[in-house]
Amino acid sequence: MLSLLIALPLLGTLIVALLPEKHGRLTGRAIAFTVAILSFVWSVLLGFKFDAELTSLQFVENLPWIAQLGLSYRLGLDGLSLPLVVLNGLLTWIAVYSTDPDIQRPRLYYSLILLLNAGVVGAFLSHNLLLFFLFYELELIPLYFLIGIWGGARRGYAATKFLIYTAFSGVLILAGFLGVVWLSGADSFEYNPALAASLPLSSQFLLLGTLLVGFGIKIPLVPFHTWLPDAHVEASTPVSVLLAGVLLKLGTYGLLRFNQGLFPEAWAIAAPYLATWAVVSVLYGAFTAIAQKDMKKMVAYSSIGHMGFILLAAAAATPLSNLGAMFQMVSHGLISALLFLLVGVVYKKTGTRDITVLRGLLNPERGLPLIGSLMIAGVMASAGIPGMMGFISEFLVFRGSFPVFPVQTLLSMVGTGLTAVYLLLLVNRTFFGRLPDQFSNLPRVEWRDRIPGIILTVLIILWGLQPSWLVHWSETTLTAMLTGPGAIATTPLVTPSTTSPKTSLKVL
Amino acid sequence: MNMVSTRDRITSEHPLASLIYRIEEGGALLPESPDNVVEVVGILKSYGHVLDAYWQNLVYIADHQFLELFPFFKYFNGDVSTKKLLRHWWHDRINYEFAEYCMKAMLYHGGGGLDSYLDSPEFTQRAQAAGQAKLKGNFLMSGVTKAFPGFLPEQIRQLCYYSALGQFWEVMSSMFLVLSDRYDRGEIHSINDVVQHVKNGLVEAASKPITYTVMIDGKPYDIIPKSAGLTFLMDTAVPYVEAVFFRSFPFMGTVSYNAQAQQISPEPERFNYGALYADPLPVGGAGIPPTLLMQDMRHYLPDYLHEFYQHSLRGEEDLRVHICISFQKSMFCVTTAAILGLMPHPVDTTDPQERQTNRTYLEGWMNRLVDSRLVSLQDCGV
Repeated sequence: MLSLLIALPLLGTLIVALLPEKHGRLTGRAIAFTVAILSFVWSVLLGFKFDAELTSLQFVENLPWIAQLGLSYRLGLDGLSLPLVVLNGLLTWIAVYSTDPDIQRPRLYYSLILLLNAGVVGAFLSHNLLLFFLFYELELIPLYFLIGIWGGARRGYAATKFLIYTAFSGVLILAGFLGVVWLSGADSFEYNPALAASLPLSSQFLLLGTLLVGFGIKIPLVPFHTWLPDAHVEASTPVSVLLAGVLLKLGTYGLLRFNQGLFPEAWAIAAPYLATWAVVSVLYGAFTAIAQKDMKKMVAYSSIGHMGFILLAAAAATPLSNLGAMFQMVSHGLISALLFLLVGVVYKKTGTRDITVLRGLLNPERGLPLIGSLMIAGVMASAGIPGMMGFISEFLVFRGSFPVFPVQTLLSMVGTGLTAVYLLLLVNRTFFGRLPDQFSNLPRVEWRDRIPGIILTVLIILWGLQPSWLVHWSETTLTAMLTGPGAIATTPLVTPSTTSPKTSLKVL
Repeated sequence: MNMVSTRDRITSEHPLASLIYRIEEGGALLPESPDNVVEVVGILKSYGHVLDAYWQNLVYIADHQFLELFPFFKYFNGDVSTKKLLRHWWHDRINYEFAEYCMKAMLYHGGGGLDSYLDSPEFTQRAQAAGQAKLKGNFLMSGVTKAFPGFLPEQIRQLCYYSALGQFWEVMSSMFLVLSDRYDRGEIHSINDVVQHVKNGLVEAASKPITYTVMIDGKPYDIIPKSAGLTFLMDTAVPYVEAVFFRSFPFMGTVSYNAQAQQISPEPERFNYGALYADPLPVGGAGIPPTLLMQDMRHYLPDYLHEFYQHSLRGEEDLRVHICISFQKSMFCVTTAAILGLMPHPVDTTDPQERQTNRTYLEGWMNRLVDSRLVSLQDCGV
C-alpha cells in the first residue's frame, strides 16, 4: 500500500519524461496533476485507515534488497510520518497546480517535481537507515535542477550552494548511520530505536553531533542556514512552496526520528544546549527577517526562526512538546507554502518583491485585494494569532517546553513577538496606503492564482479551530517514542500538571 | 469662429499655459481624441440616467417629505413595497445618498443668489409660515421649535437646496441624454462638439427661474417665489460647480488627513476635494460618495463604452476606476463649457484689451485647476 505512494510519482516521472515533445506542455501537466492528486488522495485514505491508537508501525512492507549491505526495502507509517506524507502530497499537488502552464521544458520540469515527491515520501516512509539515506539523496537531485534551471538570475549560484550544503549534510547523515550500525555491531541498517542504546556515551555524543549537523543543515539551523535564503530567492514559486513546505521537514523529521529516537541518553544531556541553540536560531531568524527588504527573503528568514521552535520542542522532549514539534512542522509547512505562494503572485503581477517599493496592493479595484487578504491571514497564522494553526503549534511547543526549559522558552516567545513585528511591517508597507501610479495598471489576478492560497488558508483555519483532527494521528506514536526503549530523561524544572498528553491537550 | 492664432498669442508664464492657449484657440480642457469622445459621451449618457433618478428623488423629498423629521422611506419616491425594500437593503439600487451629499456640499459652501436669499427676512417669513402650517397640532415639535428657533429655518434651507439641486439636475440630465441621442445620430464628432452642446444648453437654461413651493393641507406655500429672481445659471449651476466640482469635503477613505495637525484648511473656500480632484483609485473603505456615483453609473453604461472598458488590463474588475476617470474627463468638458459661458468677452475677440481680460480670467480658473486631475488626463490614456 505504501509503495504506491512512491511508485505512482516514479511512474509519472517516467511517463512524463518519455512523452513526445509536442505533448509535453499539456499532457505532461495533466499527468503530473493527476499523479499528484492520486498520491495525495491515497495518502489521505491511508490516514483514514490508520489506527491512531497503535504504537507500532502500520502498513509495513519489508522486502529484502541487498542483504550483504544490510539494506532492505522496509517501509512503515506511524504518527510522526503520516502527517508529513499527507502534507507532501498536498503541497506537490499545489506546486503542480500553481506552475505557469507555459513553463519552459515542461517534461523535464514535471518529471523532476514528481521525482522529488517520490524521494521525499520515500524518506518519510523508510524504516531502514540506508534506505532513508538513498531517498534523502534522491530528492536532492531534482531540487538542484529545479532551482538551477527554472530559478532567477542567480540560480546557478543558489543551486550550487544548495547542492554543496545538502550533499555535505547527506555525507554526515550517512557517516552517522554507518557509525551507529558498525559501532553497535548490528547486522543490518533496519531502524530500531534501541540500536544505539548499548553504545558508550562518548560514541553516542559523537554520532549525535554528526547527525545533528547533518540534519541541522537541512532544517536549517543557524549557522548552517545560509543556503536557504539564496535558494528561496532564486527558486520559482512552486519550488519555494515545496522547499519550505516539505523539504525542510526532512531535517526536523530526522531530528525527532534519528537524533532524539536513537540517542535518548545523549539527547537528554545535550538538551539544554540544544534548547539554547534553538533560541539563537529563533532570534537570529526573526531579527534578520526584520532587516530584509525582499519579501521572499523575509519569509525565508522567518522559516529559519520557526524551525528553531521545533528544535526547542524536540530538546524539551516531553509528550506535549514533541506533539508541538510535529504540529509546528505541518503548520509551518502550510503557512510558509501560503506565504511563498502569495509572494509569488505579488512578484508575478508587480515585477518586484521589494517592500520599499510596493505599496497599497490591497486596493479593491486595481490592487490584489484577495491576495492581500490571504496574506494578512497567513501573516496572522504565522504570528500565532488564536484560531489559526500557528497559535496551536506555538502554544503546544511553549506549553510543552516551558516546564523543562523556562528561560529558553520565554526567549523563544520573544521570537514569536518579533514574527508579528516583521510580518506586520511586510503587510503594512506592501498592502496598505495608496497604490502608487506605477502599480495602477497591474494585470488581473486569475482564479488559478487564488485557489491554492484559499485552500491553504481554509486548512490553516480549520486545523487552527479543530487541532485534534490532526493531533490524534500522532499523539500515541510521539508518546511511545518517549516511553519506549531508552526513553529520554530530561528533568522538568516544573512538573506539568498532568502527564498524559491527551489530558494536557484539554487546555486547548 | 475666428480664434486666436498661435502667432498672435500673448505669452503666459502659468504652469497650465498650454491649456490656456488651447482654450483661447477654441479647444477644451480635455484634449481631442476619438477615445475621449467615446468615453465622455458614453459616460454622460450614463450620468444622464443617474441624474434623472437623482433629481426626481430630490424634488420628491423637497415636496413630499417636507419637515418629516424621520423620513424612513425618502428614497422610495412614495412607492414602498417589500420588493423595493429588499432591493434597497441589497444595495442593487440607485444610491440617492450621493445626491444628498452633493446637496449638502452646496448647503455648506453656499454662494450665489440662493445663499443670499436664504439669509433674507423674506425667506424667514415664508419659512415660518410654512413651518407653522406643517407643525400645526404637533405640540412636541412646536415646543422644540420654540426652544431652538434656528432649527426649523435650517431644515427648510436644506429642503430648498434639495429642490434647487433637483431643478438644476433636471436640466442637466435632459441635456446629457440629448447629447447622447445626437451622438447616436452622428451629430457629435469631437470634444469641442460636446463642449458646444453643453455650453448651448447652459446658455439656453441660464435664465430659467428656480422656485420652490410646497403643498400643506392642500394649500400652496411659496418658499422660493419666482419674484426672488433666482435663476438656473448663476444661482444653481455656478454654486454647484464651486461646491461639487471644486470644494466638496475631505472624506476619510478618499483623502488621508490629520485634522488635528491642521492638514485640512479651516477656510472652506480653500477646500479642493471635489470631483475634479478626486482620486479615482479608492484607498479603502466602502460607501464613500464618489464610489457610490461610479456604482450607480455602472448600471447604465452604453454597450459601446462597456466594450471600450473591456480592452483594459483588468476588464470588469476595475470598471469603477475607468468610470471615474471618464467621468472626470466629462466634467472637465462641462467645466470648459462653464468657463466659456462665463467668459467676460467672446473667446475669439481680437481686441487686445478684451483678450488680456480673458487671459486674466482664464488664469484665475487655471490657478484652481493646477492641483486637479486635469494634468493627468492630458495624455489621452488612463
